[in-house]
Amino acid sequence: MNSVDPRREHELMLTRRQLFGRGALGLGTAAMAGLLGDDLLAENKGLPDLPHHTPKAKRVIYLFMSGGPSHLDLWDYKPGLVDKYGEQLPEHVRDGQRVTGMTANQKSGLPICPSKYKFTKQDNNADGVWVSELLPHTASVAKELCVVHSTFTEAINHDPAITYIQTGSQTPGRPSLGAWLSYGLGTDNENLPHYVVMHAHSNHAEQSLFNRLWGTGFMPADHQGMLLRSQGDPVLFLSNPKGVSRKDRRAQLDALAAINQGQADSFGDPEVLARIKQHEMAYRMQMSVPELMDMSTETEETFKLYGDAAKTPGSFAACCLTARRLAERGVRNIQIFHRGWDAHGNLVGEHGSQCKDVDQACAALIKDLKQRGMLDETLVIWGGEFGRTVYCQGGLGKENYGRDHHPRCFSTWMAGGGIKPGITYGKTDEYGYNIADEHGQPLEPQPTHESWTPGTMHIHDLNATILHQMGINHERLTYRYQGRDFRLTDVHGHVIHDIIS
Amino acid sequence: MQSVDFSRDVLPILSNKCFVCHGPSSEDPDQLRLDTEALATSDRGGYRAIDQAKPNKSAVLERLHSADEPMPPADAEKQLTDSERAILSAWVKQGGKYTKHWAFVAPVITPTKSAPDATGSAALDAYIKDALKAAKASLHKPADKTTIARRVSLVLTGLPPELDVLNAYLADDSDSAYETLVDTLLASPRYGEHQARFWLDAVRYGDTHGLHLDNRRGIYPYRDWVIGAMNDNLPLDTFIRWQLAGDLLPNPTLEQRVATGFVRMNPSTAEGGAIPAEFQAKNNFDRTETLGTVLLGMTLTCARCHTHKYDPITQTEYYQLFAFFNSTAENSMDGNSYTYAPILHAPKDQAGWIQWKQIERDRLALINASDKDVRKSLAENEGALTAWNNGGLDEKLALLADPHGGLKESTHHQKAVFIKAAIDTASKEFTTTLVTKDLDKPRETKILRRGEYNLPIGDALEPGVLSVMGTLPEDAPKNRLGLSDWLLSDEHPLVSRVLVNRIWQRVFGHAIVRTPEDFGLQGQHPTHPELLDWLAVELRQTDWNLKAMLKMMVMSDTFRQSSSRRRDLDDPENTLFGRGPSYRLDAEALRDIGLWSSGLMDPHMGGEGVKPYQPAGMWKALAHPGSNTKQYVQDKGALLYRRSIYIYWKRTSPHPMMTLFDAPDRESSCVRRARTNTALQSLGLLNEIQRIEMAHGVAERLLKQADSTEERLDLLFKLLTSRSPTKREAEACNTLLSIMLERFEAAPNDALELLAIGENTRDESLDAETLAAWTQIAVTVLASDPAILVY
Repeated sequence: MNSVDPRREHELMLTRRQLFGRGALGLGTAAMAGLLGDDLLAENKGLPDLPHHTPKAKRVIYLFMSGGPSHLDLWDYKPGLVDKYGEQLPEHVRDGQRVTGMTANQKSGLPICPSKYKFTKQDNNADGVWVSELLPHTASVAKELCVVHSTFTEAINHDPAITYIQTGSQTPGRPSLGAWLSYGLGTDNENLPHYVVMHAHSNHAEQSLFNRLWGTGFMPADHQGMLLRSQGDPVLFLSNPKGVSRKDRRAQLDALAAINQGQADSFGDPEVLARIKQHEMAYRMQMSVPELMDMSTETEETFKLYGDAAKTPGSFAACCLTARRLAERGVRNIQIFHRGWDAHGNLVGEHGSQCKDVDQACAALIKDLKQRGMLDETLVIWGGEFGRTVYCQGGLGKENYGRDHHPRCFSTWMAGGGIKPGITYGKTDEYGYNIADEHGQPLEPQPTHESWTPGTMHIHDLNATILHQMGINHERLTYRYQGRDFRLTDVHGHVIHDIIS
Repeated sequence: MQSVDFSRDVLPILSNKCFVCHGPSSEDPDQLRLDTEALATSDRGGYRAIDQAKPNKSAVLERLHSADEPMPPADAEKQLTDSERAILSAWVKQGGKYTKHWAFVAPVITPTKSAPDATGSAALDAYIKDALKAAKASLHKPADKTTIARRVSLVLTGLPPELDVLNAYLADDSDSAYETLVDTLLASPRYGEHQARFWLDAVRYGDTHGLHLDNRRGIYPYRDWVIGAMNDNLPLDTFIRWQLAGDLLPNPTLEQRVATGFVRMNPSTAEGGAIPAEFQAKNNFDRTETLGTVLLGMTLTCARCHTHKYDPITQTEYYQLFAFFNSTAENSMDGNSYTYAPILHAPKDQAGWIQWKQIERDRLALINASDKDVRKSLAENEGALTAWNNGGLDEKLALLADPHGGLKESTHHQKAVFIKAAIDTASKEFTTTLVTKDLDKPRETKILRRGEYNLPIGDALEPGVLSVMGTLPEDAPKNRLGLSDWLLSDEHPLVSRVLVNRIWQRVFGHAIVRTPEDFGLQGQHPTHPELLDWLAVELRQTDWNLKAMLKMMVMSDTFRQSSSRRRDLDDPENTLFGRGPSYRLDAEALRDIGLWSSGLMDPHMGGEGVKPYQPAGMWKALAHPGSNTKQYVQDKGALLYRRSIYIYWKRTSPHPMMTLFDAPDRESSCVRRARTNTALQSLGLLNEIQRIEMAHGVAERLLKQADSTEERLDLLFKLLTSRSPTKREAEACNTLLSIMLERFEAAPNDALELLAIGENTRDESLDAETLAAWTQIAVTVLASDPAILVY
């Protein structure tokens, strides 16, 4: 459920006290607003004690690959598997990990399935990084990326796993990462919401998304992500109705303000003033959002960088370009969901198409931010809710195959925002099945409040690190609900200092 | 320092700052425990943390102020404030006595000082007035008649008063005028539709399964049953008992079994690859914890993995409570099925329910009336007599109606035939609904280590209750029926308080316990503890009569105060209730008011969730391609204009005009909605199709029912605010009207475009430009604070 935001309550209480203290009952709206200053009436200023430390990043652009991209076909190069083609995955490697209901009883067992894709080693700022031929553009920005091979989770199915990585809990009801950022840091922009979510087109959109992934759980709903849509109004209900002009709307808002002010005078409720302010912000958004979405000011060079797809609204490329435009306008938190990574059968067909959707645009976003001097202060994250199994699901072929869900290790990357560029972090064993130490020996990370296994990154660690880069101590950003001080990272999470510059 | 109250002042500090280490979840036997008096005062080898005999020797005192070894330790996450340290010191010095947390002690009545013999609304007012008096204040002036008429109508029915009801009330100068108004509102079918909504939030009612595919789920007869139960004023204890365990009652009726949809309300999945045992656990975590929030006002979630850190609830007890739900017969995976068994066939709308309940009453009356005669006439026929004596209502009716049986000559036979035919006819119209049934053999329940479904530990547990809230009554069965006996017993400290607190919240805008979801140690202390207890006892003693409780509340002077801010009382949060309620209306009410005032509202009650206008593609952008809720197919005609409680609730993507105004997603329990204020709400209020269509409807009504601008504005404000416009409001509207008239006359096509919005076609007998201009007035006033707030 959502409850009343204690910070907001506190602010309003201050507002009210100020009003009473100064005996301002009965003053006109403008006088009241002047008396209070803009600050107290601002929509969302964040918590007073934040940031906890100097932030490295001013904003986040999170490229969420929903469905679980195959680390084995994109980032985690396992040349030794070719010789093991079709062999059963050794029991000691699986070591008791759950197998989903989809492959648990398949007749072929758990046959090893090497990637059919060529990998090339790209220079970075350390020992280099292997990248699949599916991602040629992303490979070209390897020097900017921190590729993490040892992300892991406990959840093995989409709904719990994506809910887990986005909200810190496998079951619904908690605020999303974006809601936490909004609650903690507030907004920088008077004309656009602080948290914007886009859904990019995919040819294989085969998993569900849920409002809860950008929702607020028990926090007030004003921290939820605003959907920026490619169909109809980019923002719900943005356009005036047919037959109503901007001038008409101005006249309406003036009448509305007069009526509302009368109400405020009769009842002395300061919240009325906050509402007048929101009506005005809506009026400004009716200008700022179309301006945001108007790509005609972008140069041909930019379109070349992002690819032709960027001209098609709703494409992943268009979403990335919009993300850059949002970033330029001070929006703090931008998330793009790209579905279709759940390759149970036709991995070659599906991942091929998925990579075409995202590859050039990911690289373009990095280059674009860099050339504008914004990469340093923008944390870009790419990843899904889990990885995919080394064993094949369904028919195993050299040219096509499928892979099941794999929570025990998967690859994500981060760039900019104070993350070390051009490195890799974490390793997996020769099967790409378990996280391993530098000698290839499987690790069994069982993070607790006190301990953490170097070289691993649980999804709570990822979230702790994201918050850290934004100037937030994940253990101190709390919200009390039902008597408990909740955190995004629950009672877990370790900031991965090894990847922070 | 003045005397400190352990429960109010001390326990919250101990709980919040100390129990993390020195609380119920401590596993180290040597660790000091501060959660019970015996442990906190025990001899620790020559000293005591709290020494009740020699308070000044208490070790706690020293550690609280120690620079070298402070408590809490210097690196602890939560530190004490100076005033907290002072409270703890004062308490220890006063002897360090413990009392039980107030919410775990059954409520008892403490009569007020000023009016110990008062009853009903007068008693309620006395509790409020005594607290105000202590703050050197008294009740605020009464709200004027129009304001209170609108307020009470919104609180009871979710709509402003009908104009004839309003006018009758305003014209009635008798002392009973207000009571007459209240009685009229309580008798309106709109009452149940409004009151049911709060319960549906709490139990997380939805029309889809919630997880993964989020497919359709057929359970709306439950929603309709709740609305009917509210309108019938089913006593709240019965209301709850049927929902928890209606299927376990002897010869359960259809109503009693449909009510058990409550237990089935948890979100469910059928995701490929999900493991049934995992969801068997998760489904029941959800049920157990929802029970905690809805009826106990407690979070139990912590105890799923470990003994609760704050509240005295052990992990064992959590799983004993869990065990009540763990033996239900449905599969743990929903199969993505609309008819996720067990199901039952039930009436498909409210008219069907009303008819069915009448048939059931007739049947019962007939069986009772005929019993003596039947026994007499079957006295010689032992087989038939046994069948009659052992049969349920269905069997008895069948015997009586059998054209070839021994009772075909009975004087009751014809009536029985008639009722049986009515049942057959009614049943043909039934739809399906999810209900609860237990397995023949209970499922074994064990503690799950860290809440992991695959880590059961220890012996199998019997169902059991939380010992801090009493024991399972001796004769109670160890099933959901027994659970309801425990919850609804006179000794239960929480259920009646929790319920009455939420009833108060929806009447007065704020609850007495401001954390209605948490009455535990970490929750807020009641603003008026004695009032809360009196209300809780009153609820029970009036046989859990909700209408009577609501009537008493709205009849009080406290409710009827003006809601304007006071210069003489600095109480921004209205914790003293020294002014009337004021808050923004909920999403459903905002839409319903527009439908109602435009005359578009379709009064039909119940049925499958309806799908009004919604921007295209919202479901598709999220949904799995295999989901049967990926396409939002907008309804046509009257279905567009049903009351909002009937809007289809897709849990992963509820209607945007609902979520925009803080409606919960119904994936988890919500007993208190936030009331946010955002720019996106402004856009919704002024631009959404149905808002425009409703405004258009209002404008037509104004043009048809009133002749002059003045009269039209008067009618508009009467509808939305129950009063005439103020001078300033009239001026603002007149200015807007002249601007709009002028601009639409200059661009008549714009007027036609505006009026073409929505499916309801325009009345061509009315001048389009005038109608468009008034549409703009109406949409603006519908969005204004006097229309969207309770005050």
